[in-house]
Amino acid sequence: MLSFRRIFLLIAAVTSAVSAKSSTGDSVLVVVEPSRQNDYSIFFNGLKEKGYELTFRAPKEEKPVIIQDDVPSFAHVILFASETKNFAKDITPQSLVELLSLKTNLIIALSTKQTPLSSLAAEFSIVLPPPGTPLVSYFPERSEPPSVIPIAPDSSSSILSKDIHPVWFSGVPMSLGNNPLLFPILRAPAESFAAEVDGGSADALVDSAEKGGEGLWAGSQLSVVTGFQALGGARVTWVGGVELFSDEYAKKEVSKSVESGNKKFASDIATWTFQETLVLRIDRTEHHLVNATSPKEHYTTGDEVEFAAYISKFNPKTGKWDPCACRKDIQLDFTMLDPHVRTALPPVPGAPGKYGTAFRVPDRHGVFKFVIDYKRKGWTHLHSSTTVPVVPPRHDGYPRFLSAAWPYYAGAISTSVAFLLFSALWLAGDVREMKKSKGKSE
Amino acid sequence: MFSLIHLLLLAVSAQASLLTLQSPRFSVSDPTGTQIRSEPVSLVQKSSTPVNLTANNVLKLTFQVVDKETGKGVQPHQTFLRFYDEQSGEEGIQPVRVTPGGKAKFELNLARPPLSLPPTTDAPLKVSLIIGSSQYSPLSAELFDLILPLSHPAPVHPDEASFHVLPEIKHTFRPEQKLPPRVISAFFAGLVVAPWAVLLGLWSQISPRAPHLFSPSILPFVLSLGAFEGLLFWYWVDLKLGQVLLYGTILGVFTIFTGKQALASIGNRRLNRK
Repeated sequence: MLSFRRIFLLIAAVTSAVSAKSSTGDSVLVVVEPSRQNDYSIFFNGLKEKGYELTFRAPKEEKPVIIQDDVPSFAHVILFASETKNFAKDITPQSLVELLSLKTNLIIALSTKQTPLSSLAAEFSIVLPPPGTPLVSYFPERSEPPSVIPIAPDSSSSILSKDIHPVWFSGVPMSLGNNPLLFPILRAPAESFAAEVDGGSADALVDSAEKGGEGLWAGSQLSVVTGFQALGGARVTWVGGVELFSDEYAKKEVSKSVESGNKKFASDIATWTFQETLVLRIDRTEHHLVNATSPKEHYTTGDEVEFAAYISKFNPKTGKWDPCACRKDIQLDFTMLDPHVRTALPPVPGAPGKYGTAFRVPDRHGVFKFVIDYKRKGWTHLHSSTTVPVVPPRHDGYPRFLSAAWPYYAGAISTSVAFLLFSALWLAGDVREMKKSKGKSE
Repeated sequence: MFSLIHLLLLAVSAQASLLTLQSPRFSVSDPTGTQIRSEPVSLVQKSSTPVNLTANNVLKLTFQVVDKETGKGVQPHQTFLRFYDEQSGEEGIQPVRVTPGGKAKFELNLARPPLSLPPTTDAPLKVSLIIGSSQYSPLSAELFDLILPLSHPAPVHPDEASFHVLPEIKHTFRPEQKLPPRVISAFFAGLVVAPWAVLLGLWSQISPRAPHLFSPSILPFVLSLGAFEGLLFWYWVDLKLGQVLLYGTILGVFTIFTGKQALASIGNRRLNRK
């Protein structure tokens, strides 16, 4: 039965008009309680329409395994079992971290209950409130309970599309640590705070604030959906509550005849996490002297050198890598242990995808590297390092025929001329007899 | 941002009762207790002049939360003061303790600042009051701008700088070598060449002769000596070592024969004469 559905879906995917592909693979494992699986049908159908192959699994089922013999079985994993305390043997915080280092992307949903996933969140510098304290907000005034909150997404975020309607959310807020790999995708509203499910009292809030540390959970510094881009390139999205993806919230109206933005928001999160958007790579780099085209084995100190990098961006609609002149703030380092030169690497007008700059090789000789180390929150990290030796000038590479050496040139040349003249005269001359040869008459 | 939702949903809000503040006031007093500034707080309009708080002064805010219709004191679930720096985006939320009768008092003493105060920069902090309760409509009002002395900035992760544009580094090159003026070089070159003038002058007196110069036994040798000097000059200007050794070897073999011929002819001449 499962295989029939899969074949049908494959055919449907091939013939569907809209298909967005991921740059790292199309197989997705969804870990969700079977009883709740149909609650998220809008989200899952959206993924299937884009061409992803979904495999469903209950948290306690042994198969299909997420990682086998250090090889991940799926390209992406969605963990919607936010209230399960006991997972199967292969889903542990350690195995999830190993998946990340093997470039598998994750969407992880949290809840007010304490699960192994909450302890994993602490490894990512995400601090969760005590168990049983979801996010509540009395603003704006609405008929829903205070724990169901409409949040308007930030329109300047590069991950979300523009003009998403406010999103319904219920779950836990996250406090983000200092880690620069972590960034908020959706912040909590300024008037929201974490309170006990049964209501809690005003005095408890004041006491928790006076306690110090992470005492009071409130305000827009809290994040509700957080993104994390690991150094290896894998992406994780932590969502404070799994209800964000539910059909109920997707269909709920956020105000009179204004649909909620949940469907679009969930689709955008999946697009970013599954490496469809904001994915860059360096195709190749080249370096040569300013007026030449082929690279030299080694450069001399003081040479004018040109460096170019070709960067392309993944286009999810076609599944191909297109050259992109989209990043304007890339920098190039020319380093030997420490950067000696750091310049901007701007896009070259007229050659899309080419970023080039020219500079003069420093006075030091040694082994240098052209280093591109580009990290921005939400974008793939770009790393490239090209090693090139730099030698001091050869004996005839220095400035020659200087005016200060004229006396020496004059001396050497006149020595040569004098030698020639002397040899010619001696070889060609005669010994002239003296007219009075007194000494010889004896 | 949130006011948009507020307006959108106000139309569909339930007919909940309203809260209001009774006698809200704030005052700034210095350490001795004299009041520098004391004003009532308006819920509908922000105070026009910002409150400037220096190191020793104390800011006190007092009000009572009451039900608008009955006038009875209410203790709402959420009574927060929000300090927000628009420029840096830093925010601090401070809950205000409200008695069951609705009376609230908040004191800001910079000698012992509350933990929730965000790091301050040059920009003023916007102070707003947020009151939320399950039985009443929520209330939010911007009270005044607060100017505090500068604080240390929030601590930053050491890697954070590499996620932004880093400052450019330019290499300072050795300055170009400065040469002495050409006049001096020309003068000394002239000094070096000066003995030739003496030599040529003396020779003009003697008038030396080289009668055998163009005989076929002497001339090749002289020419090959000249070729060696030419090769030396060429090496100085253009050639590399390998090339000059190659040419020099070829020329040397040639010179051996011409030299033998030349010196033999000179020797014969001398012996014959003798």
